[in-house]
Amino acid sequence: MIVYVTATAILWALSGVLAVGLGLLLAAASLSSRLSVRLLGGSAVTLTRGVPTSLLVVAGGIVAIRLPPSGWVPNLFPGTPGDLRMVAAAVTVALAVGSTGHFAVIFQAAHAALGRYRIEQTTVLGLAPLQRTALLAREAALIALPPTGARLVHHLHNTAFAALFPVADLFGWIQEQASATFEVTRYALLGAGAYVGLSGLVWAGCKALELRLAVRPARPPSRLPAAPPNLSPTPSNLSPTPSTRP
Amino acid sequence: MIVNLLLGIPGERPGGLLLSILTAAGSGALAVVLGTVYATVCVQAPRLSLGLQAALAVLRGVPLLLLVFVLAQGTGLPLPAAGFLALLLYSLCHVGEALRSFLAAYPAVLREQARVLGLGTGREWLQLRLPWTFRRSLDALATHWISLLKDTGALIVVGIGELTTVAKVLSEQASISDWKLILASAALLYLATTVVLVQTLEFIKARYSLGGAEST
Repeated sequence: MIVYVTATAILWALSGVLAVGLGLLLAAASLSSRLSVRLLGGSAVTLTRGVPTSLLVVAGGIVAIRLPPSGWVPNLFPGTPGDLRMVAAAVTVALAVGSTGHFAVIFQAAHAALGRYRIEQTTVLGLAPLQRTALLAREAALIALPPTGARLVHHLHNTAFAALFPVADLFGWIQEQASATFEVTRYALLGAGAYVGLSGLVWAGCKALELRLAVRPARPPSRLPAAPPNLSPTPSNLSPTPSTRP
Repeated sequence: MIVNLLLGIPGERPGGLLLSILTAAGSGALAVVLGTVYATVCVQAPRLSLGLQAALAVLRGVPLLLLVFVLAQGTGLPLPAAGFLALLLYSLCHVGEALRSFLAAYPAVLREQARVLGLGTGREWLQLRLPWTFRRSLDALATHWISLLKDTGALIVVGIGELTTVAKVLSEQASISDWKLILASAALLYLATTVVLVQTLEFIKARYSLGGAEST
């Protein structure tokens, strides 16, 4: 069972990282100043959100199963025979594509939630593009983390679609054992326990990251441009006393 | 091919997209009814319902595919009934929790207003509290229904002939030139159905939010 839990974890991690990366790319594309890039990003998001992961996995598996095994594809999937590594890789990509659109929308929403004022404020501060991106990303991450965690749990559950093809994963193992021994309840409970445990780990990981980001305030950039003299923080202009001007 | 994708393989009809829509609509609607009962029980008797809440929380951690497989293999139910029940349970876990949180967030001001108007508890629930809850949870419910329509693809695991299963069966039998067309057609059908559903839900949301602004 440990091999299959590990296989599921690897499948989840590889496809999850790919999905988050592609999601970030699509979210960035939707913010582009070029209309063609925005349209392309938007269409990709609609497409990946509109087609179910099950169909993507079926398509990926059917395409890969007809391809000859390639030596350049490493077999990262424990329990999966070496000559089926292309199928496992295709399933991983399909799982990632299935979640990409959802992640992109989460990241877009988090960016929008920062507000125009906050985004413009970082521009006015005169930060370098990299520093500005890092600052905004950190703030947006706090907003994006809860839905990202929920989606990562859903993504973990989607890895069960790998069982449609001879790719080792936890659900495939449950199916195999239950069919071989007719002890459906026993293996279903074992599998459910493992999935609930893994889901809990994903949730706890995201929660820990969220707490860490919330507790530690963002460090100010090491080199800020000098503020004009009339904006320098002094006790008088930091005072909360309301202005008396009409 | 298109007829099979829309209605199912001959001898196994209704199937294809029709079965996907029927299953999603049926389980989604029934989940809202049961979810409302669950939310009401949780709000009215929070301590008594702790076990129920914990059970649904655990169930949310179990993949839909596993639920489908267990209900199909571990019970004597016919496959379509087992699939429907799995989707219903899965839907109830998510819908019930959304409704519970919004029902619990019902503002005390509205409760006071109902008392001033002389409404009894039953009438207050029917005329104010439940409509308010449904209006507020419409966003969460809409997201879930769209996801549910796509999640009917999980029924493939026990071979129930919805759209993904039909597409897989047809593409495995087809020649190389045809299977690409079959899978692309199935993807387009899902995409078109999702777009129609999204537009319908947007229309309903816009209509209800206007009503909400007037009534609250």
